[in-house]
Amino acid sequence: MADGMINLTIDGAPVSVPPGTLVIEAAKQAGVLVPHYCYHPGLPVAGVCRMCLVEIEKAPKLQIACATTVTEGMVVKTQTAPSKSARQSVLELLLINHPLDCPICDQAGECELQDFVFQEGRDGTRYGEYAKRFNPVEDFGPDVLYVPNRCILCTRCVRFMEDVAKEPVLNVSERGDRAFIGIHPEARLDHPWAGNVVDLCPVGSLLSKDFLHKARAWELDKTASICTGCSQGCNITLDTRDEVVVRVRPRPNLEVNRYFICDHGRMHYKWMNRGDRIEAPLIRRDGELKATDWDEALDRVAGILRGASGTAVALVSPGASSEALALAKRLLSGFSWTGAFQVVMGEEAPLPGVPNLALRAERAPNAKGAENLGYSRDYARALEAAKTAAVVLVLDDPDCAVEASGALIYLGSVLGADAPCRRADVILPIANVAEEEGTFTNCDGRDQRYYQAKPAPGMAQPAAWVLGELTAALGLAELTR
Amino acid sequence: MTASHTGSYEPVFVGAVMEELQSVFQRYPNKQAALLPTLWIAQREHGWISDRIMAEVAEVLGLTPAYVKGVVTFYTMYHQHPVGKNFVQVCTTSPCNICGAEGVVKAFLEHTGAGDAGATSPDGKWTIVEVECLGACGFATPVLINDDFLENVTPEKVPDIVKKYR
Amino acid sequence: MGFPHKPHPKETVVLSQYFGDVEARTHKGWVKRGGYEALAQALKMDPAAVTEVVKESGLRGRGGAGFPTGLKWSFMPKEKKKPHYLCVNADESEPGTFKDREIMRWTPHALLEGTAIAAHAIRAEIAYIYIRGEFTEPWTIMERALAEANAAGVFGSIKVYLHRGAGAYICGEETALMNSIEGKRGNPRIKPPFPAAAGLFGMPTTINNVETLAAVPPILKRGAAWYKGLCLSNPKSTGTKLFSVCGHVQRPGNYEVTMGFPLKGLLYDMCGGPPAGRTLKACIPGGSSVPILTREETESCLLDYEGVVEKGSMLGSGGVIVFDDSADMVYQIMRLARFYAHESCAQCTQCREGTAWTTKIMERILSGQGKTKDLDLLLDLSENMTGKTICVLSDSCAAPIVSGIKKFRGEFEAYLAGKRQPVMVG
Repeated sequence: MADGMINLTIDGAPVSVPPGTLVIEAAKQAGVLVPHYCYHPGLPVAGVCRMCLVEIEKAPKLQIACATTVTEGMVVKTQTAPSKSARQSVLELLLINHPLDCPICDQAGECELQDFVFQEGRDGTRYGEYAKRFNPVEDFGPDVLYVPNRCILCTRCVRFMEDVAKEPVLNVSERGDRAFIGIHPEARLDHPWAGNVVDLCPVGSLLSKDFLHKARAWELDKTASICTGCSQGCNITLDTRDEVVVRVRPRPNLEVNRYFICDHGRMHYKWMNRGDRIEAPLIRRDGELKATDWDEALDRVAGILRGASGTAVALVSPGASSEALALAKRLLSGFSWTGAFQVVMGEEAPLPGVPNLALRAERAPNAKGAENLGYSRDYARALEAAKTAAVVLVLDDPDCAVEASGALIYLGSVLGADAPCRRADVILPIANVAEEEGTFTNCDGRDQRYYQAKPAPGMAQPAAWVLGELTAALGLAELTR
Repeated sequence: MTASHTGSYEPVFVGAVMEELQSVFQRYPNKQAALLPTLWIAQREHGWISDRIMAEVAEVLGLTPAYVKGVVTFYTMYHQHPVGKNFVQVCTTSPCNICGAEGVVKAFLEHTGAGDAGATSPDGKWTIVEVECLGACGFATPVLINDDFLENVTPEKVPDIVKKYR
Repeated sequence: MGFPHKPHPKETVVLSQYFGDVEARTHKGWVKRGGYEALAQALKMDPAAVTEVVKESGLRGRGGAGFPTGLKWSFMPKEKKKPHYLCVNADESEPGTFKDREIMRWTPHALLEGTAIAAHAIRAEIAYIYIRGEFTEPWTIMERALAEANAAGVFGSIKVYLHRGAGAYICGEETALMNSIEGKRGNPRIKPPFPAAAGLFGMPTTINNVETLAAVPPILKRGAAWYKGLCLSNPKSTGTKLFSVCGHVQRPGNYEVTMGFPLKGLLYDMCGGPPAGRTLKACIPGGSSVPILTREETESCLLDYEGVVEKGSMLGSGGVIVFDDSADMVYQIMRLARFYAHESCAQCTQCREGTAWTTKIMERILSGQGKTKDLDLLLDLSENMTGKTICVLSDSCAAPIVSGIKKFRGEFEAYLAGKRQPVMVG
């Protein structure tokens, strides 16, 4: 056992944790999940739900695991009769005014009230004949609804706004069983990070309007991904239902985004489901773009590249994967090469309670990756160079204002009716971030992997695959950097 | 978060009232701690604590209106609605109850025309409420009319009291 | 002294000596009566020495918990690194208790003097006296006394401020009171940290009840040994205690007796017993939060911390509520449950939901719609409301329920069996 560590026993399992660790966290190490509601590792401890009452040897009464610090030799028991009966009582009390409307509740299936009642609740209520309290649904903000009847007053939302967002727009109003989560009528829950209260809510009391009645939790497939909303690189989960992305939620990463994502990132997914996609490779034949198969399209590009010499320009999206960006550069390694990207900028919106976490001004996930690979931020100069280049490669930048006198190759997922890339010699359909696996480098230089959440439409392929095929065809696959 | 001041709202914390508040600030290490006294001043000046006043108090103390509302709704003595000119609080907790407090409430409701507990009489003069323990159980039944603390009130004494305050 | 009644010969009058004496309210009058001599004496002493005297006297907290006062003071950091605060708990709200009100009304300077001595002992530069919002008269009197004391410069470098509550029983809980001074909802805090480590504004803080502090000047003046000698029964309970007696007695009021005095003597000799023709049925000896005593228990109970515990209840704040044979115990217990449901701060689940549910069950029993199993349900709920929450408000709701069902089960059963006229409550 390591020096300076505290040794204790939880449900018979010995664990060794740093001093200052809370019993509830130490229990996780012993493989024990102590049921809880108000406790959340990303928030200050409140100790109010009283669900995590456990027995600690030598303590005169049950203690809450979320506010008790470990001590040497401590013996914690979570499954004894007093502890179980205390939890069962809390569950019964939390349900007395609960509407039990799980069939129409968005939280059903991922509801901690459902889960713990299922796990250790009573068979039935003894509250039976008494009237339940009723309060109407309230509109808290642009994306948040409050259903007070389902609220268990764990105060996670209040603490998030107060201590993490540092903008206390939510409160606990009134006292006793009349209490509810309140807001001032002149205020809105519209902080740029407010949406986190929906994730933090352990029950179906705070709901996302965007996700309202969209899917049942158990129908969702979950894929680890990286948010493309800015250069922060927040870890997210893409929730898909029938191959459509329906929700973005934060995936904990203590180094990057802790437990949170901003509302911009949360809403930055609808484009992933766009229907107007390029679904087949297109090559110019008799002056017109014609659909073809991958073999012919790749042959055509390889032919163009073999037949050209001099300068080449790559105009790339800072949302493309590092793999694709590296291969695009390699593909053009026989040319005098210029590569550049442009980033849409927006207003920075920090989350005050978490150092180094913000919606970054750079609204793209991989500008740093592009920069590391030698792509320039001088997009104007690259556009100018494109005018006279022998070959211009546009990667995933549908609005690129390119003017090319040489060959123009466009790899993209969409293309507007008047987009300059319509004039390309070859157009190759690629997957978007939800449809491929890849790597982004965030603003702090951290490389993070994202995974495929749904299939790409039609014949679209990941850009890295397309560019890999082309480098292989040109015999550049073995090239060392 | 937005908190706008529109309409014909007249701020409470100006002039002498603001000066009074400045002296309240001297008692505490931060402005938030002055919240309860600030609300007392607001209620004294305006009669009750409206949402608009909460927003003003929030602005004056560097808090948010929602925070202020959370605090206002915790304490039963801050009126969240207008009340009658005479706000009558009758203690009906157990020790007073056994000494006949319910009769005192009934007498006040009858003689003031307030009708129901919590409602304000049509002439706007009376609001009668039942409250929990006023801390004068040995002087049952204690009644608080505005800031006047009356002891040993019985139903028989109510008509005279009402006459005095009318 | 049982103001407004004449002092009873068996009373030991220390704190209540000047109750009813209007002149004692003024600074001049207080000084004339030997006031502020103890403070002058204390300020010449080392803070630790003052604490030692109080420790030696055996004085215990008069707010309800009975924690030794000197020991509490000694928990303050020895080495002063941060500001220290003193909070004075004048949020007297426990049903049945009205002693602090009388201290502030009649002898405001006794409280101010005790406050200044305590502040010196714990080396606090600021003391806040938290007075419940409903105490309009004590507030005015205290405000006037404080102005006089300040004008007379009695506090030296110590600053004393009044802070008015606004209607919340729970603010009498020490950490809730601190939150309330800080401009927050009066929510009790989880402990640790304890106030001596991180209390008001996160700084080392001591909090004492009004009566506790009012007892400090006489202790300093007359010596720890004198105070310690005021003891009729258990040596762990010393000094005098003000008992507020209310309910069904002929002379309700405050009575000051030496610790260990028989409850029977208090109720019958001093208060005149129940109204003519009535007999005593039950008594809550320490404010509404403590278990109810039967007549037999009441009549054999000694009034000190240990004596009341021996009878299965607690001395608490010394608020004695008396019920005679006309009282409907089921109805009265419902009133108490309703009080706690009204006052629950809403933090802990068991308290927020449990107090309200308990009240509903009690109301239903009274309405004649109760079921036999309701009593077991009440007991089970009470069990889960005891020792499970941040503070003891839900325990306080459970105490009269559990003791009531145990001791007056017949009255409950009469409602359940339809043998009592239902009472409609709303």
